[in-house]
Amino acid sequence: MGVLSSIINGILMGGVYGLLAMGLTLIFGIMKIINFAHGAFLMVAMILSYWLWKIMGLDPYLSIIIIAPLMFLLGYLTQRFTIKPVLDAEKDVREPIGALLLTAGLAVAIENFILMVFGADYLMAKTAYSGASINISSLSISVPRLYAFVTSLVVAFLFYQFLIKTELGRAMRATGQDRGVALLMGINVSKVYSIAFGIGTALAGLAGIVLIPFYYAHPSVGAVFITKAFIIVVLGGLGSVHGALVGGLIIGLIESVAAQYMTATWTAILIYFAFLAFLLLKPSGLFGSRYEW
Amino acid sequence: MRNFITPRYYLPALMIFILLLIPLFISSPYILHIMAMVLFWAYLASAWNIVGGFAGQLSLGHGVYVAAGAYVSSLLFANIGLSPWFGMIIGGLVAALLGVIVGYPTLRLRGAYYALATVGFAEGFRVILINTTKIGSWHTGGAEGFLVPLLGDAPQHMQFMSKVPYYYLALVLLLIIVGFSFWLDRSKLGYYLTAIREDEDAALALGINTARAKLIAAALSAFFTGVGGVYYAQLIRYLEPNAIAGAIMSNQIVFLAIVGGRGTVLGPVIGGIFLTIIGEMTRILFDQVMGLHLFLYGIIVVLFVIFKPRGLIELVEKPYEKLVKMLNGRRVEGAS
Amino acid sequence: MPAKVLLELKNVTIKFGGLTAVSDLSFKLFEGEIVGLIGPNGAGKTTVFNLISGVYRPTEGEIYLNGENITGLKPFQICHRGIGRTFQVVRPFGGKSVLYNVMVGAFLRTNDTRKSREKALEVLQLVGLYNKKDVLAKNLTIVDRKRLEVAKALATEPKLLLLDEVLAGLNPAEVDEAVEMIRQIHKSGITILLIEHVLKAAMALSQRIMVLDYGKKIAEGSPEEVTSNPEVIKAYLGDNYGIA
Repeated sequence: MGVLSSIINGILMGGVYGLLAMGLTLIFGIMKIINFAHGAFLMVAMILSYWLWKIMGLDPYLSIIIIAPLMFLLGYLTQRFTIKPVLDAEKDVREPIGALLLTAGLAVAIENFILMVFGADYLMAKTAYSGASINISSLSISVPRLYAFVTSLVVAFLFYQFLIKTELGRAMRATGQDRGVALLMGINVSKVYSIAFGIGTALAGLAGIVLIPFYYAHPSVGAVFITKAFIIVVLGGLGSVHGALVGGLIIGLIESVAAQYMTATWTAILIYFAFLAFLLLKPSGLFGSRYEW
Repeated sequence: MRNFITPRYYLPALMIFILLLIPLFISSPYILHIMAMVLFWAYLASAWNIVGGFAGQLSLGHGVYVAAGAYVSSLLFANIGLSPWFGMIIGGLVAALLGVIVGYPTLRLRGAYYALATVGFAEGFRVILINTTKIGSWHTGGAEGFLVPLLGDAPQHMQFMSKVPYYYLALVLLLIIVGFSFWLDRSKLGYYLTAIREDEDAALALGINTARAKLIAAALSAFFTGVGGVYYAQLIRYLEPNAIAGAIMSNQIVFLAIVGGRGTVLGPVIGGIFLTIIGEMTRILFDQVMGLHLFLYGIIVVLFVIFKPRGLIELVEKPYEKLVKMLNGRRVEGAS
Repeated sequence: MPAKVLLELKNVTIKFGGLTAVSDLSFKLFEGEIVGLIGPNGAGKTTVFNLISGVYRPTEGEIYLNGENITGLKPFQICHRGIGRTFQVVRPFGGKSVLYNVMVGAFLRTNDTRKSREKALEVLQLVGLYNKKDVLAKNLTIVDRKRLEVAKALATEPKLLLLDEVLAGLNPAEVDEAVEMIRQIHKSGITILLIEHVLKAAMALSQRIMVLDYGKKIAEGSPEEVTSNPEVIKAYLGDNYGIA
């Protein structure tokens, strides 16, 4: 594969990273919680999508209709019945980290639940387009990645419109900026949290679904993606939605460019260093508003 | 003399005595190995607790220090024959140095940002570990892991064919860290770390050099964790980067401390003992169900964070105090 | 014999972006004084405290304590040199007992836990919290939280105590008690600079008053002098005072 091809394919992958990171950054922006279970949710959607394809022959892109609402519900209920009580109890604590630990515990429980039920096999939905590529002279672009990229961008666009144009979106942003003021304005903060967590989880789910035609799922696949998502949200600025998308594209690009000149592992090390440099020198990231850190 | 015959003294002494006697009644090396691991995990959770509990800095990367201690001591042992007993000190010091290296740039990060930074350091370290097969002429094994050379019964090199010495060594380590925590809890440093956890700005205004206190805590915590890593290397004799430096190790340490009760002297010990035993029991009972024991683990952590955020210690403390009172009362009656 | 200068601000200015929060402020505090710093909301009073205690570094100007330049020192270093402060929004270590809170402060002058406890108990007597020493700080009433705030600062054995609105939010009876407490503290030899919104109490306590408006000192003098100053009246009541 030529250099240009791999760069393009890297950017395509970056779109999916961006979609995943958007969910993470949304949850942080509004609730100030780092969701360590975000990768596990992505994995759940991948596995569900795979089995719907395997058993019913449902194309992963069609399974969005079933899985996205399911993931929303999963996220909604998770916040309502596990995170909410913890947040309520931690109201007077300055650095609430109980919720963070909770999501870390959830991640372990979810991963191992899937392991118990579905086993440790590597699963991929080998659809008709899974191995396809578009070839223009020497360029070779992977079709499933292209689909994933386009879908990610469309979802990102719709999500952005939702945040800016709708009443609910505005209520969510207001809550993220100042919980106290939002309460005074009559916003049901707890419900907004549940919806935000639901949407964030659905975004992780969508990222999982578009991955399954070309990426192997297994119970701990979430760990790979969540670390990248952490890096991306810090790069883009924790809480910044468009920052997450741009950050995703940048990481996708770096991975593919660096892969031309060094081993994948040194790329990973390079990315970690860049991540730490950002975290330490400019914690607000490229686009972040100045939250307390 | 009389003062020492109160329940405050003899109850803990009794517990230590029981722990000392256990190997006399258990001959199965397998069970002894598990018991040593139980004590070892309690030790690691207590070491984490210095920075994660007292100072309230949520480190999710303590696997780095376990790995530092384990690798440094094992490489010195395998290549120049340095006894792991000395390796404990060197491994601990290297880990402490790493603790300061991680701690210094993260000084001004709070809450979630600090946690993310520790994840970043740990992941970076793990990736480096996986991709380094050699340091100079010393082989480290890379992704395949590192086998610690086995000399047979060699007490001078911390190697024993029986599990009993490993059990006692874990017990000694645990008693040291509990003693240290007990001292810390009542010392100036402990008060300062707690103040930093509760409100860093207010602590600064009371004359606390918060940066220095946090670095000291980071170094101490990393030192003890590194020493634990040396022990682990000799007990398991196989170092696998993902298992030792990865998220599983780092998270497990945190979970034990949380479930037991972070920021308390005995919480992490209780959490370590309780969760490790539960984990091992489910592993034994439901051997064929992959993932069950970790699933339960996760659920237990979730339930504790929701319903008993201050940990098991809360449940143990009151009955213990009652017992002490009861025994005290009886003694007074008997004396009169 | 003229009293010794304890604290001196020389032409201190601080800007946040385009906003000048404190502008060319100079004043001296003499040892043993009790001085009030008053002014309308947003006049920059708390900013002055943050400058003295090292939370902010002045854009221009210097701050001297006992003749030593302390400009740019960190808050903990300034506390070491003998300036204690309270926060307007009280900041107890909520999860810990009252005694624990005060011991944290007392540890500044000792490494010994027993001595720290003794010192803390002594301070708790002075502020009237002795009987509540085992209560968790977060369970205290507002008055007691303010007392605790003062106790923590006192435990660091300051030469100069900065009190940021310790009387705000108290009912009249409580104000009287707190005024008495501040007098006691002053009597024990500690110089006090206080920010106060409760003007009557500030007037009753202070030997000297400085008035701040828009970051500038507009008046200084005895309570009587200051209250009759037309600039001060204007600052507090607005330009329309005469008309209404």
